[in-house]
Amino acid sequence: MKTPQPRDENPCRPRHFKPPPCSPAPLDGPAKQSLETSHTRLLITAALFCLAFAVVGLRLVEVAAFKRGDPRLAHRGVATQAVQSRADIVDRNGVLLATTLETPSLYADPKQVIDAHDAARQLVRVLPDLKESEVYAKLTSDKSFIWLKRQMTPRQEYEVNRLGLPGLQFEDEEKRVYPKGNLAAQVVGFVGLDNHGFAGVERGLDGVLRSRGAPLALSLDVRLQFILRQEVAHQVADFNAIGGTGIIMDVRTGEILALASLPDFDPNTPGAASPEALFNRATLGTYEMGSVFKIFNTAIALETHAATMASGYDATNPIRFGGFTIHDDHPQRRWLTVPEIFTYSSNIGSAKMALDIGTDRQRDYLGRLGLLQSPAGFEIKEVGEPLAPSPWRQINTMTIGYGQGLSVSELQFATAVAAVVNGGVLHPATLVKRAAGEPAPGERVLSEQTSVDMRKLLRLVVEQGTGKLANAPGYLVGGKTGTAEKVAGKAYATHSLLSSFLGVFPVNDPRFLVLISIDEPHGNAKSHGYATGGWVAAPAVRQVIERIASLVGIQPVDEDLPEIRRSLLVTSPTPVGRKFAAN
Amino acid sequence: MIRASTILWLAAVILIGYAMFQVKYEVVQQEERLARLSHQIADGREAIRVLNAEWNFLNQPARLNELAKRHLTLVPIGTAQLLAGIEALPMRQAAPPQAGGETAGAAPIKTSAVR
Repeated sequence: MKTPQPRDENPCRPRHFKPPPCSPAPLDGPAKQSLETSHTRLLITAALFCLAFAVVGLRLVEVAAFKRGDPRLAHRGVATQAVQSRADIVDRNGVLLATTLETPSLYADPKQVIDAHDAARQLVRVLPDLKESEVYAKLTSDKSFIWLKRQMTPRQEYEVNRLGLPGLQFEDEEKRVYPKGNLAAQVVGFVGLDNHGFAGVERGLDGVLRSRGAPLALSLDVRLQFILRQEVAHQVADFNAIGGTGIIMDVRTGEILALASLPDFDPNTPGAASPEALFNRATLGTYEMGSVFKIFNTAIALETHAATMASGYDATNPIRFGGFTIHDDHPQRRWLTVPEIFTYSSNIGSAKMALDIGTDRQRDYLGRLGLLQSPAGFEIKEVGEPLAPSPWRQINTMTIGYGQGLSVSELQFATAVAAVVNGGVLHPATLVKRAAGEPAPGERVLSEQTSVDMRKLLRLVVEQGTGKLANAPGYLVGGKTGTAEKVAGKAYATHSLLSSFLGVFPVNDPRFLVLISIDEPHGNAKSHGYATGGWVAAPAVRQVIERIASLVGIQPVDEDLPEIRRSLLVTSPTPVGRKFAAN
Repeated sequence: MIRASTILWLAAVILIGYAMFQVKYEVVQQEERLARLSHQIADGREAIRVLNAEWNFLNQPARLNELAKRHLTLVPIGTAQLLAGIEALPMRQAAPPQAGGETAGAAPIKTSAVR
């Protein structure tokens, strides 16, 4: 490239001398070309920069000047989602049964504790349930983390903070709280210190509760639960019994609306409960239920046509079989029809009916009714295994006919009775609320006709037989009494009874089942010294039905309406309850 | 000419830089506010849980039963009352119009309460 004339290299050049007009020498050849190339490049680069600045500027104007709706960050939900490690448990109406709250727990770093002796003394002063020697031992141990007291109240936290001791720290821990206390303790269960389920639904559905956020709705209704528990507790106290149980079940779905087992405990402090209180009698305890079992005996006889509503058996004399004698508690000493056998709870008639059914058919049907194996898939794990005779001899067939020799849990019993009365479909019992309109799983075990006949017989027991005290007027209660002598060792203990009553209402179209059992009641003046199911459990069932009917939406009816009379009429050759209606 | 455009660009750069930092600070502030609010929401939720637990504790049926017995002069509805059916309930009696400036809707309620 040819450079233009240097202009100022001569310092002696006079100042007035004007440089020649700037007219660059015309370029040509490769120089011109490369100058143009660089010029083009410069322009492109500048344009790109301009563009970039323009984009940034425009974006800035857009962000700053035109505020658009919601910032996206807020929608990401930073830390707004409550982290909860265990779902709440609620009843079918959403009433809280178990929840998780944050509570402070106190721990120490013994390496930072300056005066362990003084610290222990001061701590025990504000937390009186700690032992000074234990606290001292913990504060002088060589660990760097040791729990001193877990799950404290906010007040205790404040007191400890006020001491201002070094080396003590708090950490928030989750604590399971049961606001309803004892009310449904056996069903809800409780958790250990680390929030692992130990009993009840807390244990049985531990995995479900851990993995879901939404509350788990049980089938229980707190109102019914309260009424049932109160009435059972009343009878237990009144008859000086050792315990009692109650179950209310929806016979159309198998949902358990209330389940009480007394004595019970406060799940907030399960450590203080006795083993008897922790024991769920209604599901874990298995009993020979006694005469209430005649429901199955009669239903199977009708279903297999071993007997009809019009057949009869001679119940004049006790049966002697092997070394056993089977006699009646309410002896009529005559020929009894099937409805009469059921109404007066005749053991002799039932045993003969069982013989007509036969061992194989009896075992087959009891199995189908779910009475020979523990209910699979029930939500709580405290479920008793039924105890069936082995080998199943003829004498067993006879005794099982009236409820001796086969131990089942009351849960199984109630489930099977629900199948007998609801039209013959066995719905597995459940403690979890079924969604509205969701069809309950079920399996047909008896025919519709057998179920209709059984309803009539159950009504007869309450109208004229052993269950009169259960008659809640207007609610068409049907039921069956049961008084079982409890097995003590190898023999039956005559004075330790399990007195039960099973009630169904309204019996012309059963909706609900109420089962109450009182364990070892003692007769009192009010019951004229009797401690049988008809005197102890039946009145409680009546109370429960009268109190819950309006809550579950059952309207009382006039029981003397001809269409209701007709629907429950038993057509039997001999009139029932002519001279023995006085029980 | 060159000077003018340089100044213009410089001004633009300063302006944009200023605005940029302004926006950044605002974002930081908003984030702090978001964190604060999130914390408050979490606290609020925990408070709701505690209050809900307490509400359910206070609403134990046994306690309500006791309180109702002590403070109310009501008893549960009997079967006989239910048996009659809802149709048997008489309609509210229309009270005779009161002298005074009360509206028609409020008058019967007030009189029945006073009586």
